[in-house]
Amino acid sequence: MYQLVAVLLLAAGLFGIVRRRTLVGMLICVELLLNGAGLSLVAAAQLTPANAVLGQLGTLLIMGLAAAEATLVLAMVVVVVRRFKTSETDAVSELKG
Amino acid sequence: MEAMAAKIAFACYVLIVAVGSIIAVVARSLVRALLGLIMTLFGVAGMYLLMAAPLVAFMQLLIYVGAVSVLIFFAVMLVRSGPGGEEAKPAKMRQNLYAALGLLAPGVVIGGALIKRPLEAGLSRSPVEIPAAELGKGLLGPYLLAFELISIVLLVAMVGAVIIAFEKRGGAKP
Repeated sequence: MYQLVAVLLLAAGLFGIVRRRTLVGMLICVELLLNGAGLSLVAAAQLTPANAVLGQLGTLLIMGLAAAEATLVLAMVVVVVRRFKTSETDAVSELKG
Repeated sequence: MEAMAAKIAFACYVLIVAVGSIIAVVARSLVRALLGLIMTLFGVAGMYLLMAAPLVAFMQLLIYVGAVSVLIFFAVMLVRSGPGGEEAKPAKMRQNLYAALGLLAPGVVIGGALIKRPLEAGLSRSPVEIPAAELGKGLLGPYLLAFELISIVLLVAMVGAVIIAFEKRGGAKP
């Protein structure tokens, strides 16, 4: 049951990443994905004979990675907005060559 | 009685998570999408509590609801998408189609596998709460390397974020 909820979060996050057109919207959807991963991990650790300590610590590490990733993405979005005056992905798609 | 209450609570949390994630994905304004994300985070924290993992639940509230969502809110404010701005236009048809494909591929494959092959009866157990001291011992014992690595990753991310954000306009170009 919990795994199905995790799949729901995964699917919603993927749907959002493809559909959103701003970088911040995509960041929100990435957080949904990471939450699905954490939920799946804790469910597998707590409801089966697997190592429960390992599962919970893994989820804590995922949360730390999510925080680090959010700070980095925020800094990148600030730079992109300063340089392109927008955060739409279509407008930022040009390469420097 | 207790199993019944757990089932009802689980249904409530599933409802919160589902509604929250739908709001987070389809809302026109980014602030509303962020509120949907926070709703989802609360639902997931409730599920952690239901699985007798209170430490993870409180960390979820502290880190995600307390820190990450505030960060995303800062990003929304800095990007400053006005009412006529970026996400306001409805999405293109092709984009919607691709998004639906991205939704269906893992949903059908993993969800179908999960429904078709449920957990065998002998393998499921009722959750047991693990005291925080045990988790701390695990963090300082067998998983010490992961613990130290995540602290280095966090440090590098903070320093990198500061360096990127304070970059001078001309300094970036070689």
